[in-house]
This record gives sequence, structure tokens and C-alpha cells, in this order.
Amino acid sequence: MWGQLPYAADLEKAGIPTVVIDFEDQNNMVMEEALAQGVPTVRHIHASRTLPGPADVDRMIEPIMQALTSPLTEKEKEIGSWQPPYSRILFEGTMDEAEAFYHQTEWVPHPVNAPIAKYTDGLPVRVPTEERVAAMLKGTSHKPDELVTFQVDREGRDKGEPVRFHPMNWAATVEKVAACAVMAGCKPEYLPAVLAIAESGCYIASTHTFGQWLCVSGPYAKEIGMSSGCGMLGPGNVANSTIGRTYEIMARNLGGAIPGVNRMTCIGSPFEGSRCCAENADGLPPGWKGLNEEHGFRKDESVMLIIPHVNDGIRGVQFSPGGYRALQKSGHGGMARRLRVKGKPGPHNWLEYILPEFWAAREGAKTLVMVPEMARHLYEYGFKSKEAVYEWLWKKSFMPVGQYRNFSWVDLATNGWLGIEHTSGKHWKELPDDYMVPAGGFDPSFFCIIVGGGDEEVSHQLSSIRHLNKDPIHSIDAWR
Amino acid sequence: MVKTFPLAPRLDKLDGKTICLSICGEPDITIPLEKRLKSDYPNVNWTLKKTYGIDPVKLSDEERKTTDALIQGVAW
Repeated sequence: MWGQLPYAADLEKAGIPTVVIDFEDQNNMVMEEALAQGVPTVRHIHASRTLPGPADVDRMIEPIMQALTSPLTEKEKEIGSWQPPYSRILFEGTMDEAEAFYHQTEWVPHPVNAPIAKYTDGLPVRVPTEERVAAMLKGTSHKPDELVTFQVDREGRDKGEPVRFHPMNWAATVEKVAACAVMAGCKPEYLPAVLAIAESGCYIASTHTFGQWLCVSGPYAKEIGMSSGCGMLGPGNVANSTIGRTYEIMARNLGGAIPGVNRMTCIGSPFEGSRCCAENADGLPPGWKGLNEEHGFRKDESVMLIIPHVNDGIRGVQFSPGGYRALQKSGHGGMARRLRVKGKPGPHNWLEYILPEFWAAREGAKTLVMVPEMARHLYEYGFKSKEAVYEWLWKKSFMPVGQYRNFSWVDLATNGWLGIEHTSGKHWKELPDDYMVPAGGFDPSFFCIIVGGGDEEVSHQLSSIRHLNKDPIHSIDAWR
Repeated sequence: MVKTFPLAPRLDKLDGKTICLSICGEPDITIPLEKRLKSDYPNVNWTLKKTYGIDPVKLSDEERKTTDALIQGVAW
């Protein structure tokens, strides 16, 4: 969950009594987060998802005040400690018994009402015997008993500080990550990529439709046989599939993430699978940087990009591929009509075609996945760098304040109407309805382009990597 | 290993206490809650921290010294 519970726990430790208002279906999530924060008996009251506010407050107000005044129970006065449940060896027995052990489920009541896997993502795993884990560990120079730590200074976290896996804030050794890599079906040479994912803490967030997908940039992708071509986010490539899968297996086993208990992604997301692909560095137009160079690494350095998929879904191909070809080859078809280039051969800026729908449902920057041919068309049209595309998209995102205020959720980056609108330096409430503000994020750098996929003219647009994940890039080389 | 802590001692009375209502979104709940708290408990010194965002606006170190309790709503 977000910052509310850690804050309440911090105040309780400082001697300030608190009560937290949550929703009933999130009871387990709050209790698990309270345990992770070291204050397991935090008092909380359930609000209703359906009652009108005044009626709900009428129901809650007495319990809220009682939570601040009724004396502590003996349990609430307890000082103690809590040890995450997993030991180094989970199970001893035959291989068949081990397979059955790892495939166990536990019943998770409402809001799931179904059995959920205890150790896996729900699919069978390769049993992580000591021998297999030892073989996996040959994929890195890091020692098995070494804690997974931040390899560089990151936002708010120092180099060398142990990574805390989400949501239960557990630490893990390199060996435990290797065990998860075995379970996912990885080969030893994939382990540096898996450790780079581990360095992210495998954040799983709380509600909404939240998932993470992953993209490798740099020469490592070719070294281990990753696919950046047709179907790169789909099934088939062993490296893509198994490296991606480790995210969820680590979240379950190293972070204690349990669907419907402490991770409340309401409908879920296909990216909770998770999926991993590689950037097609050879498909980048001249002057367009790879993801590694965009984030301050060299072209010959390899990185893992952790990309949140949240809220605004997967926007796909808003045009028929044939229609796209007609636009670029001869200026015919519906796309040419919309772009008012009828009869004129390309290159045309195809982004113009999807722009009207970009911010129809939700503000924020986007991550655009596009095939090399479509990237080349943008280059030939005049975008000589990714940054030029970002700048163009951001400028096109400006809309009147009166329209911007109609989104369901305000711009979190500036705290909506309570803060300062950053392009004007004025308070939101001072701005007239016709004042133009960017719907595409704080600045152009919030956008992201990933080039990859096959030859069919296709683009996906998803929520921005920087919308929630401020520090999304992790070195793979640091974990070789 | 996580060290676990007891809850802070509760308030012995409400009158004269300073209680912060820390709001994160959900105005459908928090606007009527703020009104009811102030009308039902007029002898409490109510303070307010408010955000539309997902992370609460924190009490400063100075404010912590003068705040007796805090209501945090809504948490997701």
C-alpha cells in the first residue's frame, strides 16, 4: 500500500496515537503492512465503498474517536519481534513430493474466494534443489550469502543498503534470488538480469490494475539470446519468458506478496505474469539513443528497465496495419484523411493519428512501444532524436484547466488543486479555466520510447515508466 | 527480523487535545468527516493536513510536539 500506513506506524512509535481509515476488503493488506512496519496492532476502521459519505461518517465517527481513547489491550502493549517465515531449506523429500510441495495452494477468502499458490505464480516450477541453485549461482560473481543490496546510490537509498522486497520489507541473499531463478526455469547466464530485477525490490503496489513488465537494453540481451523481434512480449523465447517470470516468483517468496491479502490489484494485469523483452538496439534510427544511454549508461552497458503498467490500460494499434502502410506509401485511406495528407506519400507523423485519444481517459505521460519501421518513419519525418518526440508529445498534451479538472484523479505530481501548477508557478485555484496546462506529465522526459517487435506496423502505448517508478533502471553488469 | 512496537498510549480525554485529521483523497468521506468531527467535538483543537495524493502530508517535527493524536484517512 502507499504511504499512509508507514506514516501511522512511525507516529505510533513516536508516541502519537493514530487511527487509520481503510476499506474492509483491504483489512489483511493493512494488517500485513502494519506488521512489516513493526506496529502490528495499528487500529483501523473500515469505510464503506458504497455508502454516501455523511451516512458512512455517521457510522464511523464513534469508533474513530474510541480508537484514539480506549485503553490499550495487553496485546497492543506487547514488544517483540517477527521473523519472516522462510528458512534456507523449505522442504526435504523426493522430487515428486517436492513438486507437490511447491505447487501447494492456500484458500484466500474475499475479495479472492479462490485458492492461491503459496510459493509460485500459479504454474508448476522447477524444484530449486541445492545442486540446481549452486549451478545457477555460477551465473554471477556475487557470493551466495551476500545480501542483495543497492549497487549504486539511488533516490533516497544508499549504495550498499540492503534491498527490501515489497510488500513485507524482507531482505534476501543472492542464493535466494538464484533459487527463484531456478523455479522460474532460468539458465545460469540469466542470473545477472534476475539480480538486477531483485535490486528493484519487486514492487507490487496496492490497488488498481497494476503490474510490471521489463525491458533489457544493451549487449547482454543478445549474449543470452533474448528476443527483441516479433512477439517479444509474448510466449516462446526462453530468456524473455523465464526472466520475466522471476519478478512474480520473487515478489511471492522474497517479498511475501499474496494476491487479495497484501496486494490488491483489483482485476489484475497480464503484466503481473510478468513479461520481459529486449530493446532492438539495431532498429533504432540514427541519433536515437537506447534505453541504456537515455539513463546515463554507455551503449556497451546493459540495464534492466522496470516498467509499471497502471491505470490506463494497454492502448494498442488504433489503426489497421494495412491502413498505416497506405498512409506512408501513398497517402491513402482513413489515416491520411484524418491527417489531411490525402494523396501525399510519407513520411507522415503517425503520432498525429492517435493523439486525440491519448488523454481521453487519464492524464500522464506514456511509454510507447513501436516497431523499427515506425520509428524510422518518425525519424524521416523529422524527429532526429527520441527527445524530439518526447518534446512534441508533451507540447501536444496541453489542454485547458477546465478540461484537465475533469479527469477522475488529479495530477499527483503537483498535488492537483492544492499545489502550484508548475508551468505557471501559480496556485491551481488562481488559474482561469482556459489556461493551458500539460496533461502529459511534469516535463517531456516522463515519456519513453521502446523500439522492438516484428515487421507488422504496430505500436502499443502504456502508462509512463516514470509515473510511479521514479528510479526504474538497474545495471545488469553490476550483477555479473 | 522485524522489531515490533506497542501502540502509543491513548488519550485520557478529548477536550483540549490537538488532533490532526490527515487526509489522502476520498473527499466523499473526508469532507463530511471533517465537518462532523468539528461539530461533534468542538473542544478538540482540530488541525488539518490534506493531499489528493497517495502519501500523507507529514507533520513537521515542531507540529509533532504539539499534536496529541492523528486520524489518517483514507489508506489504500
